[in-house]
Amino acid sequence: MHGVKRAKQSREAIEAKKKKEVALLADYRALEEDVIARKRAGDYSEEAFTLTTKLLKLNFEYYSVWNYRRQILERATFPNASPDKINEVLSVELTFTSAALRQHPKVYWIWNHRSWCLEHVPDGPSEEDPHGWKTANWNKELFVVEKMLDADARNFHAWNYRRVVLASLPVPRPPAEELAYTRRKIESNFSNFSAWHQRSKVFASVWETQEPGDVKLAKDAEFELVKNALFIDPNDQSGWLYHRWLVGDGADVSILSREVGVITEILEIAPDSKWCLDSLVHYKRLLLRGTPLGVDSRALRQECTEILQKLEEIDPMRRRRYQDLRREMDVEA
Amino acid sequence: MSSTLLVDKHVTYIQALAKNKDDLAYHLTTHLRMNAIYWGVTALFIMERPDALDRDDILDFVMSCWDEEAGALYFWSAFGANPGHDAHILASLSAVQLLATYDALDRLDTVDSKRARLVQFFLDRQNEDGSFTGDQFGERDTRFLYIALNALSLLGCKDDLARIADKTVAHVIRCRNFDGGFGAEPGAESHAAQVWVCVSALAILDRLDAIDIPLLAWWLAERQLPTGGLNGRPEKLPDVCYSHWVLSSLSTLRKLSWIDAPALERFILAAQDEEGGGIADRTGDMPDVFHTCFGVAGLSLLGFPGLRDLDPVYCMPADIIEKRGLRKDWEALPRRAA
Repeated sequence: MHGVKRAKQSREAIEAKKKKEVALLADYRALEEDVIARKRAGDYSEEAFTLTTKLLKLNFEYYSVWNYRRQILERATFPNASPDKINEVLSVELTFTSAALRQHPKVYWIWNHRSWCLEHVPDGPSEEDPHGWKTANWNKELFVVEKMLDADARNFHAWNYRRVVLASLPVPRPPAEELAYTRRKIESNFSNFSAWHQRSKVFASVWETQEPGDVKLAKDAEFELVKNALFIDPNDQSGWLYHRWLVGDGADVSILSREVGVITEILEIAPDSKWCLDSLVHYKRLLLRGTPLGVDSRALRQECTEILQKLEEIDPMRRRRYQDLRREMDVEA
Repeated sequence: MSSTLLVDKHVTYIQALAKNKDDLAYHLTTHLRMNAIYWGVTALFIMERPDALDRDDILDFVMSCWDEEAGALYFWSAFGANPGHDAHILASLSAVQLLATYDALDRLDTVDSKRARLVQFFLDRQNEDGSFTGDQFGERDTRFLYIALNALSLLGCKDDLARIADKTVAHVIRCRNFDGGFGAEPGAESHAAQVWVCVSALAILDRLDAIDIPLLAWWLAERQLPTGGLNGRPEKLPDVCYSHWVLSSLSTLRKLSWIDAPALERFILAAQDEEGGGIADRTGDMPDVFHTCFGVAGLSLLGFPGLRDLDPVYCMPADIIEKRGLRKDWEALPRRAA
């Protein structure tokens, strides 16, 4: 149970609630027994199917009943139906589950049932257009997922499912569209790490096939985008994590130095920003790796040590980590 | 607000759950029954009250959930969540854990060789690419991968685990993200619960080398919020169950010191229902057996006095795992004197 407030209930209130439940419970138990008995007996009739609808509406998490429902479809409905009819039956299933999802956006079994339905959409409507139904259904699914993400922009079921939908579209969407989508999500809330994450995945695959010059241009634009987020709220983790992904292993020293400069600017506005300081240590340590021993490296090392000492003060919860990092640097020196 | 663990209240709360069979809520949650009993029993064992529920009742219930039908064509069988429910990997792990906790795995050694068919069920869940499904309907998730490894190791299937190790690890690595964490599937966002299953899966296979430990432990430590509670992803609310997912992962990675243990302890204790017993996700919310289990589990790893050691890889009493020769190199905070 998540986020349900504990209400103080009097004994009378509890008794009254129980009384009200007696009739409901009896109906539910009778329906459940009926459905399970039919399931055991291999009853794949239309009547049994209707009863599963009734039971699922009372309990959308009853996975065995979802299984039974799919068995009825696979064993009785589909073998005797034209592709046209199958497509229609599956549309009804999808409508049924989208109503369920709006009520229960985090129930795994409902998401599962939808993807099962979509995988079973037949070829059609014609030989000339064999992917017509599939394309229409998967496109509609993308729309449903976007509605779910409008309601809760961090719902990880919806984000994970979105990736399945994108991968299943018979005609793949150009990556630019997904980049535009994640950008919209980020701009409406910089704190939406799910969108930043998705963006990193899209770029990772796009950049694999692009020329280094194009990759560099795109990366610079991303640094600009994330810089805005960092300036607006230097204490929000989301942008910092994305920034760390963009910098990566720090092989490009010019980027590394430029970004250390940017963060130093942010630090001037927010001198006690722990994320600023922690990132500075991380990037300066990356810089250290490429710096020959000497005056410069000693200075960098000294800066890191001082920042880590400051972090111990302003972020005492993670004090031991900063101490461990300092010890690690002493060993390296 | 209490600074003590209300053991008696929690025991009564868990005992009552098994008795409320006239409640609608009881019947609307039968799909979770096997898991709920595992959560309740584990909490009781960690609170050193192993006899608070009747051992035989529980073992009889577990065996009554055996589903002969789901895999009949494929020579496997497994457990459902309640009598009459279909076999699923989620219920099957809880069943195996309950049998192991009560030292009763021999209940599977029947004339119709339930143990062999159950092992086959877990092995058959693996796809070519190393991922695992929850049942024959094909939902894939790193949770199921961990579940299969956990159950197979409790069932003593060392050779099977060695045989599938490489492709299993390869799949876990495909689910790894730049922040060091893991998601449910390749491409999915890191989530503390998925991190815990992936870290534990790699621990079972002795493959923690697939983890960038300083990076992941940093991400995990940043789950702690000023209230002391832990969240599961960046910029989300804290929740008691993450004291298990995050804390157990840090324990397996031997980085428990990277968070503020007393602050987390206060957060868990404050989520207790001081009247009716049980632990909730946050202060003032309704308790449930899931959060009760993971709250107590977290307190055990934090060295809370009077509790039994918890194995963070298996989320079971540590001595039971040790006796089976399955203990890994994790680290908990020293047990404090009462």
